[in-house]
Amino acid sequence: MRGTTPRREQGMADPVLASMVQAMGLETAPHFAAATPKIQAYRDRWAELAKFRDGSVNVQRLQVNDTAEMTRRIKAKALELGANMVGICRLQPRMIDLGEDLPHEFVIVSCVTEDYEKVLHGANAVEEEAMRTYAKCTEIATELAAHIRGMGYPARAHHNGGSEVQAIPIFYQVGFGELGRHGSLINEKYGASFRPGFVTTDLPLTEDKPREFGVQDFCMNCNVCRRNCPGDAIPDDHVITHGIKRWLIDLEKCYPYSRLRDEYCHLCVDVCPYNVKSHPDTYRHFMKERKRIGYKTPKSW
Amino acid sequence: MEKLYVHELRPDGEVSTVGLFYSRTEAEHIVAQLRSLPEKQNCRYEIVEAVAHSSSTSLRRATREPAKE
Repeated sequence: MRGTTPRREQGMADPVLASMVQAMGLETAPHFAAATPKIQAYRDRWAELAKFRDGSVNVQRLQVNDTAEMTRRIKAKALELGANMVGICRLQPRMIDLGEDLPHEFVIVSCVTEDYEKVLHGANAVEEEAMRTYAKCTEIATELAAHIRGMGYPARAHHNGGSEVQAIPIFYQVGFGELGRHGSLINEKYGASFRPGFVTTDLPLTEDKPREFGVQDFCMNCNVCRRNCPGDAIPDDHVITHGIKRWLIDLEKCYPYSRLRDEYCHLCVDVCPYNVKSHPDTYRHFMKERKRIGYKTPKSW
Repeated sequence: MEKLYVHELRPDGEVSTVGLFYSRTEAEHIVAQLRSLPEKQNCRYEIVEAVAHSSSTSLRRATREPAKE
């Protein structure tokens, strides 16, 4: 199946970032150069696991007579490996990178939640937590793909060490939530404080369904992320992609804060009111601090 | 930096935004790739300049300090 969604290159492969870094007379983005040893270790972990994304398939194929039972087993396995949420859907062209050919029928997404408390400990703590979570997702996806290949079905892991899939359309389709104004998917329980790993496979499975709970309507009026963005990179207006509202972040405005200085910027996600459900006290404390330094907080505060 | 939307115009009249791109070369490359897909043969594409959002040009920015984190 051929993909139809353009991938925004990451890191220095992103032409927008590369040209901005070049204009500064640098070789790499200051943020990447300032990685702590812990962050570098997490990056090394997913680079190390990249070679295990795919592999040989057991010739003794396990017969699947009950796809619901197999789905339950696969989800249980992902949770046992450390995932907090697991979803499954049929792979569609818009879930695959433009120009890539993925021969699989299903995609399994396993997400690990971030410890939101880190917002109280500064940008480095938030970034280390994000990278820890990505590394964990990489391990889960790698293990899960190997487990499925062991049952006699092709399976490939997709993570920070290598991927041909698009996170947001998959998140939406499996019912994890809805796309928020800040460009990340918002889950009812965890907000946008989670990271994913994926496995594409031919193992027969049962699909989850999309689930909406009013995020996009809420984002139309909330604007807390937009008003807290130091670069003013989150737009007022949305576009429509595949019938879903999408606010396209202006990278030229985002990067001076998220890539061209040493510290991480994750503020758009950290200030999102959907974090209040899972971490009411921390969120209130964090937003009071934002208010103190002059930023907008939710209306009722 | 140039900012361009690529919109996909489908035969049923639906318009779907492909993305925001930062050079005409990049936007045209994406359109060429999409046009080469058999399932997109009946779609049309337009590349349009992204108009600055009101928030980006408001006074608000001038009255606010950058983040201190």
